[in-house]
Amino acid sequence: MKAVMIKVHEVWLETLMAGFMSNTHNKQTLFDFADILFRHFTWIENTLINAGEKYNYDRDNVPIKVETLKALLKDINLRLSDIELQLMSLEDKALSSRIASDIRYMINVLTRMHDENISAFNMHRVLEGHPLSQEARDALTLFLFEEGYKEYELIMIYNYLKTHSQDAYMNRIFQILIDESMFHLKCFGDMQAKMGILATPRVVMKELYQVTDIVKFLKDGINEEILAKEECKRLSEAVAKDNADLAHFFDFINNQENYHIALMEDALNHYQEVNGIE
Amino acid sequence: MTVDEQLVMHMMEPKNYGHMESADAFGFGKNPENGEKVVIYLRIGKDEEEPYISDIKFQAIGCSTTVVAGSMLTEEAKGLNLEGAKNLVNATLNLLDKLPPEDAACSEMVALAIAAAVETYEHRVSEPDYPAITYKIKSTCTPKEEEYESSND
Repeated sequence: MKAVMIKVHEVWLETLMAGFMSNTHNKQTLFDFADILFRHFTWIENTLINAGEKYNYDRDNVPIKVETLKALLKDINLRLSDIELQLMSLEDKALSSRIASDIRYMINVLTRMHDENISAFNMHRVLEGHPLSQEARDALTLFLFEEGYKEYELIMIYNYLKTHSQDAYMNRIFQILIDESMFHLKCFGDMQAKMGILATPRVVMKELYQVTDIVKFLKDGINEEILAKEECKRLSEAVAKDNADLAHFFDFINNQENYHIALMEDALNHYQEVNGIE
Repeated sequence: MTVDEQLVMHMMEPKNYGHMESADAFGFGKNPENGEKVVIYLRIGKDEEEPYISDIKFQAIGCSTTVVAGSMLTEEAKGLNLEGAKNLVNATLNLLDKLPPEDAACSEMVALAIAAAVETYEHRVSEPDYPAITYKIKSTCTPKEEEYESSND
């Protein structure tokens, strides 16, 4: 079952990356499928927890460098077919049947999806319609690599915390934070693909998500969000003189961090109150 | 940091990133200021009885600069004998003064993790359960103007 979870994790990422690469109406379908696969991942994870099996989020690197979308879709389909075969190992037959049904549908749609030439790896570092100076392009490049990974890391951390918590109040907050990070990851991944610098996020180290001290984690997280706000502000200023639209976008992301901070403070207060921590 | 094609390639596809199952040794480089760390995993081969790094991997809790430094240094370390790996560590540490503070801290963390892994391996030759060594960096990640600003707050 652990092997299935790892494979679903990998194909979720690969499908999400395919969504970033696409410049046609394929994009939305790929994003929808990626969302479904992420849910499969969390359901299988939940089954592992219920069965008392130890697991982690280690996985192989997911190679995505292709010249045509078809090449990646072919690989996604191979992975999905492999998962469908391995679903036999799941004891929860209702779950394996649901996942298998989704997989069969996805394979069918992906097989018929029209091809596209891929420019997500050309390293041109040009954002069409958004002229930028060399300095602003460099700042944006570094920001996208840093924050793109960070959003994936946050998704994995909040997901792990949510799956291991029975506290509905905390879980509501963790789910909002997962959704917010998904949105940010999609924004940054899309930009990376447009600039020709798309990359799969690296594997997250266990120490980051296997949180033993929730209070410390939330306090550190609040400080990190404050730093992330500073990064957005710096980037907004760096691109402002060349491109007002892009500056507005990073101001918008910056302001969203305020809500993340408020949510984490809320989670911190609740956790301390429930557990009698001063 | 100057963003050139080589740097972008290392960020897009970091070389040797990931966990190594049943490594012969591993070691850590840590930044005590912010909790960032690098772990280096080594697989050691023998060339006419001379041990050398036949495979190397790294993982990092840190920024993109750390990942780029890890990608570059592990590529250089691969295939070196243990003395060669130590020379690589020393050469890197001697270059730190010439780098911006944040780059220096990241490179130092990777270099010290390589040193820690190599030394852990050397200990394990005679003592197989020798614990993984951790070295802490001396560089600070904070750029000088930020240090100045915070000292004037």
